[in-house]
Amino acid sequence: MVQIENLSFGYTKKQTLFDQLEMQLEPGNIYGLLGRNGAGKTTLLKVIAGLVFPRGGICRVEGFESRKRIPAFLEDICFIPEEYHLPSIRIHRFISLNAPFYKRFDHEKMDWLLKEFQLLREQKLNQLSFGQKKKFLLAFGLSTSARLLLMDEPTNGLDIPSKSQFRRVIAASLTEDQSVIISTHQVRDLESLIDPIIIIDEGRIIFQQDVAGITASLSFEVLPEIRENRQPIYYEEGLGGFPAILPNIDQKDTRMDLELLFNGVVSNPKKVNQAFKA
Amino acid sequence: MEANNILNIKRLYLFVRRQVLSNSGSWLVAFGGIAGVLLVISLLVAHFQPQNLSGMTGLYFSVLFVGGYVFTAGIFNELHNPQKSYQFLTLPVSATERLLGGWLLTGIIFPVFGVLAMSLIVLLANLVMNFTLDVTPFQSVFSPQSFTALKVYVVTQSVFLLGAAYFRKNNFLKTILALFIISVVVQIVVVTTAWALFSPFTDGGDGLNIGPEHLSPRMEAFFTNYIPTIARVVFWYLTIPFFLITTWFSLKERQV
Repeated sequence: MVQIENLSFGYTKKQTLFDQLEMQLEPGNIYGLLGRNGAGKTTLLKVIAGLVFPRGGICRVEGFESRKRIPAFLEDICFIPEEYHLPSIRIHRFISLNAPFYKRFDHEKMDWLLKEFQLLREQKLNQLSFGQKKKFLLAFGLSTSARLLLMDEPTNGLDIPSKSQFRRVIAASLTEDQSVIISTHQVRDLESLIDPIIIIDEGRIIFQQDVAGITASLSFEVLPEIRENRQPIYYEEGLGGFPAILPNIDQKDTRMDLELLFNGVVSNPKKVNQAFKA
Repeated sequence: MEANNILNIKRLYLFVRRQVLSNSGSWLVAFGGIAGVLLVISLLVAHFQPQNLSGMTGLYFSVLFVGGYVFTAGIFNELHNPQKSYQFLTLPVSATERLLGGWLLTGIIFPVFGVLAMSLIVLLANLVMNFTLDVTPFQSVFSPQSFTALKVYVVTQSVFLLGAAYFRKNNFLKTILALFIISVVVQIVVVTTAWALFSPFTDGGDGLNIGPEHLSPRMEAFFTNYIPTIARVVFWYLTIPFFLITTWFSLKERQV
């Protein structure tokens, strides 16, 4: 679905954010794109959406080169940014003006999502709260039936019930041929939703695995103490012991701790990735 | 690339419709405000100097030109705000359709509405103040001079269309500034070239003194016949295509 080959990008000539980046994403997944602030998550989404152009290399979505931004490609992607401005028109007017550009726009789904998010068609977009605007954009994006949805920090600005509602709606409304790339640093919000996990740091992909592979190769445990004969790949000091990532030698069935995994990968990517080769 | 991905009439219509209905509020306020001011001026003229009502056409066209340039310079406003541009750039529309949509609105539809508004103002002013439906002032709006003025507007507004796509902020002022700088540079080049070519003909004074006696018949024909013809062809036939093509590239290569 998304093929990135030998991609290099920088906002200025002197500064390089991505250098020879390679990435391949398959349809039917909800990819979690994680990384520290300034790691290049948003930029990568913009490259995929054709909003910024690579300095070198190529980015293709469904065979279309994203930087060319041809209508057939744009019909198949929907980008929901972290910050946005919506015009001062009513919801029904926005839909009637923008939906006809998408041949597969699902009006029934739009109605269902508006109801789910408690939004009224008569409401003016500029009078909605930040969270409501985000819900509206999400509803519109999902209704376009675009094959690739790109979401930048989608849970920012959502209250606690809305975050679970967001997860429920995404899980319920995606079809098999659709993919989502969610960029976030709020890993706890989306832990149960995203699979596979991609972690980028300093413009490089330092980790890309699906959840089944992660739990098969790693176990996430809280150790009472750190022993010499059982050195974890990564551990932190916690209240009731040491939350740790260990090689899953005994094939234990443990629940993935995404925050711990993220910290482990960022602090020592080589060591974590080594566990998958064993 | 499939032709459908370059220009699709239905998509072009949808794009123009989206632009009009999304911005209709602010456009109507601006258009109504300006038309209102012109109507008040016209009413006063119709009452105090009815014979001069036909002469108001000059003012109407000046307003149409300036208003049209400002309108054109702001037609791609969505592009210049990062929080809006993502939506504009990811809308399934080709660069050709964005360009033609913007050009149709500012170069064709706007002057048509402008002329209609002028005619209405003249008719209303005459009717309200003099209780007559005299068509003489109305005819001045549709005179050959007015038609030429409209053609000049259509040609020159294409420069502002490029400014609308190219500059990121204060598009109207930056376009004016760019035009000023370009005209200064052109003048410097022309004067320097003339000086280099004709300095042998100086009469010892400060300036050039070039008369027909200094030029061969072929040179004279070149300056009196070819240069004006070339200038006319460039202005009437090449200005619009040149600026539309450069605007297209500007839209195609635009990033957030």
